[in-house]
Amino acid sequence: MDTHAHDRRRFLALTAGAAATPLLAACGAGFGGDDGKKGGGSAADDVTGSFDWKREKGTTVKALLNKHPYTDALIADLKSFTAQTGIKVEYDVFPEDNYFDKLTVDLSSGRASYDVFMLGAYMVWQYGPPGWLEDLGPWMRNSSATGDEWDQADFFPNLLHADQWSLKDGAPLGQGGQYALPWGWETNVVAYNTEVFRKLGLKPAETFDELREIAGTIKRKAPGAGYDGMYGIAVRGSRSWATIHPGFMTMFARNGLHDFTVDAGQLKPAMNTPEAVAFTQDWAGMVKQGGPPSWTSYTWYQCSSDLGAKKAGMLFDADTAAYFQAVKGASPASGKIAFHPGPKGPDGSLATNMWIWSLGMNAKSRKKSASWLFLQWATGKEHLRRGAITHNHIDPVRKSISQDAAYKDKMRHLPGFIETFETVVDQTKIQFTPQAQFFDATTSWAAALQEIYGGKNARSVLNGLASDLASKVS
Amino acid sequence: MTVRKRLLGWLADLALILYFVFALFPVAWMVILSLKPANQLFSTYFSFTPTLGAYRTVLGDSEGIPFVRFFVNSLVVSVGAVLLSLVVGLPAAYASARWRFKGSENLMFTLLSFRFAPELTVIIPLFVLYQKLGLFDTYVGMIWVLQLVTLPLIVWIMRSYFADLTPELEQAALLDGYTRKQAFFRVALPLVKPGVAAVSLLAFIFAWNNFVFPLILTSNEAQTVTVGALSFLGGDRPKYNLTAAAALVSVVPPLLLALTIQRYLVRGLSFGAVKS
Amino acid sequence: MGWRPTLRPYLLIVPALLLTCGILYPFGLGLYYTLFDFSASKPQPDMVRLHNYETVFTQDAFWNSAWVTVLYAVGAATAETVLGVAVALLLHRSSRVGRVLEKILILPLMIAPVIAAIMWKLMLQPSVGVVNHLLKPFGLGGVQWTDTPTGALLSSIAVDVWVYTPFVAILALAGLRSLPTSPFEAAAVDGAGWWYTFRRLTLPMLWPYVLVAVIFRFMDSLKVFDIIYALTEGGPGDSTVVLQIRAYLEAIRFQRYSFGISYTIVLWAVVYLAAMVLVRHLGKIQRKAAEAK
Repeated sequence: MDTHAHDRRRFLALTAGAAATPLLAACGAGFGGDDGKKGGGSAADDVTGSFDWKREKGTTVKALLNKHPYTDALIADLKSFTAQTGIKVEYDVFPEDNYFDKLTVDLSSGRASYDVFMLGAYMVWQYGPPGWLEDLGPWMRNSSATGDEWDQADFFPNLLHADQWSLKDGAPLGQGGQYALPWGWETNVVAYNTEVFRKLGLKPAETFDELREIAGTIKRKAPGAGYDGMYGIAVRGSRSWATIHPGFMTMFARNGLHDFTVDAGQLKPAMNTPEAVAFTQDWAGMVKQGGPPSWTSYTWYQCSSDLGAKKAGMLFDADTAAYFQAVKGASPASGKIAFHPGPKGPDGSLATNMWIWSLGMNAKSRKKSASWLFLQWATGKEHLRRGAITHNHIDPVRKSISQDAAYKDKMRHLPGFIETFETVVDQTKIQFTPQAQFFDATTSWAAALQEIYGGKNARSVLNGLASDLASKVS
Repeated sequence: MTVRKRLLGWLADLALILYFVFALFPVAWMVILSLKPANQLFSTYFSFTPTLGAYRTVLGDSEGIPFVRFFVNSLVVSVGAVLLSLVVGLPAAYASARWRFKGSENLMFTLLSFRFAPELTVIIPLFVLYQKLGLFDTYVGMIWVLQLVTLPLIVWIMRSYFADLTPELEQAALLDGYTRKQAFFRVALPLVKPGVAAVSLLAFIFAWNNFVFPLILTSNEAQTVTVGALSFLGGDRPKYNLTAAAALVSVVPPLLLALTIQRYLVRGLSFGAVKS
Repeated sequence: MGWRPTLRPYLLIVPALLLTCGILYPFGLGLYYTLFDFSASKPQPDMVRLHNYETVFTQDAFWNSAWVTVLYAVGAATAETVLGVAVALLLHRSSRVGRVLEKILILPLMIAPVIAAIMWKLMLQPSVGVVNHLLKPFGLGGVQWTDTPTGALLSSIAVDVWVYTPFVAILALAGLRSLPTSPFEAAAVDGAGWWYTFRRLTLPMLWPYVLVAVIFRFMDSLKVFDIIYALTEGGPGDSTVVLQIRAYLEAIRFQRYSFGISYTIVLWAVVYLAAMVLVRHLGKIQRKAAEAK
């Protein structure tokens, strides 16, 4: 009896719901929300006259920021921005694990609660195609909107290119719209514990085979030499795109391997070529012989803290990850960490992958001119120089700062840091093929790597990955 | 007391202690973590130089995170949500327990069913809806959405308690000339005090610890401590000591509430006598 | 005044429903969106009707996630129930030890699950974590808690149990303390043993209280996200990718919004069905308990 009433009520509800769907659509909860300027023409064109920092005096700009030393440096310096422009900046800080959730929700709902935000180069591949990112190119080229002191040529060219894309899958970076400005970046190199190396008579590896050997040696011998529980090399292993991106992709690229090949605009997965399979097997083997226990849950938190806690003899990850453990007093290993470009590829290649924290503007922002002034200032020489020297806003994206005497002085006490940076900087670029399914592809790649580490046959796992991805990226 | 009984009693106590070691060790470890200086986080286990630095950082609103404001927000929102749910839910629980009327089971199940939807289904439409209604980043908005967490819990648990009361007492009161309302407030409600105490505490804790809704539906006005505590992680060195300190500070209000209502959670023998 | 008394119960319940029914609109909208193919690469979506669901049900990934989700929910809910009731029974004895410990019973529940998972992850880390350090004297110092599929799932369940057992225990304890004493006194006079009293008296009378807790725990653990995500992110491989994690990855990470939300709708249906079964069972038990009195 009750159930009949229940069923009847549910049926009525469903039909009512079906009838209401057009109504729901009309109420529209914003698939991309209301449009700003449509059909060609950038808001940058509205800015005319001579360049004036105080052009947007009295406006408020809202920023979404990730908890990061760059953010700390920015927040500490905001007063000078407001003094210079009369623009107030309100900001929200979120931890990185939730930061992109917040950003995605805001961008995809079209509400534009935030005018400016931090993002990485890969996010341009995701947020760019739906039109959520403002093309900053017109702003940069408009001399009324951009002052001379911003000096576009001062940026490392490969960094500006990394945030520039034509929004076509497979198309190389460096063409098309500029969807973000580089703000701070990281190269992926090797950092190692000098004390352990000295004790065991080791030298930094020049080839991948050497690296694997050293990792195994450290894991076998270091605990007996007074380093309780130390293993060879800390590399990421969690089920996330971030596992493939640092050390793995760098070494992958140095071996001349690619994630995808592009053939007449069509992407074809290439993680399962015989050479790639062999390399992946070797990498998994390296982790087993000399990597961290519980590797499959290792994010950069675990990797960097292990280096600092003297549990890892080497780290193959972002240079900044090691930097923060290496500075005086930061960790038990501080003062004993040195930097090295890492093993070369078979033909001597030092191709390196990178991560660039960039600043972007919401395409639906209602305060674009003020936001552009903010972006200009935040990526300008003054603020970045202050950030690099007084705070920890490194690696600097501007050539002038990386050559700055005070900056070099500051970094000099880290053995090998400056030399390593200068060695790899010209060969450092985004080694992945730009495509909108990047996060899916790379996360699945990480899961595949985990399975190979767990004992599954590398060729079959990677073939499965390739066929799975082939349908998704075409 | 036979030897066997005493032995069993000791075993029971031992089992209890073992469980509490399991339950409390992580908390004790968090306390240790919160007292460690940042550069000793991973280098030592138990020998370290304790410092209150983490607490000072957290409570001092530094690192760009206005923790104290988040704390106040959590208080307002959690207390508000629980009070609202009690006011609305207790009568509903009583009604569904006392009166077996047509559709009562359905209505109760419907109330419960509003909790079934995974947060992910509703979170983006809710985000947009809240912005359009002006509820985004407000206390009212948070208190309302948290009803999904607190109200079904309070109603469903209190149902059992009200259903358990023998009707004779209330009948006696009604015969004495009390109205239903008076019978409810004077007779039924006092008898289920332990239930109300337990469920209020639980509802408060769930509201306080809720993560997804405050993460998406607030900005910096109404953000809560749970989101705020995680904000200390990230960037250069993960400052777990700050997160641990923040989490422990966040435990204080629920803990105080728990200790205050302890006496309501204890049942006297008198009730048992009334029951028979 | 004939109609008033019959209207009253409705009037008392309606406010509760009104307060919470607002969720139907966003839910309806979410459901509506699954009929399209909205994604980052298709911001102007087409209506694809039930195509998303077709894809979901034919994907191996879905069945794997469904299986893991059920394993997790059943494992966690069962462990919490058994342990929670056991703890409540032990505390009910009101021994000196029990009375002291009872005051802090609720502490694990007060740590937000998100934070608890992060702390547990730190503790279980073999290199610098404290758990393996303490287990070293027992020769277990090398256990890799989350590195194997089974280990990862069990560790996640363990964290869930750690957080939520007090929830069951408190409700069970309050329930135990609400039970009438006369049946127990009568049984004691009759010389009944502990096990008999437990099976015939305690459990049936206690069960309605506990079952409500079980329902809530089971439903919530079907929807688990925070704990697993913080501990394993779904790995190793696909071994802990529960339905809400997969939905999150698809909808938010990979920006295939409509497809990801379809996963959540399926999850919703699973939760709905499970709750219906459990609640019907609860109704039966409550009626039986009422008769027993």
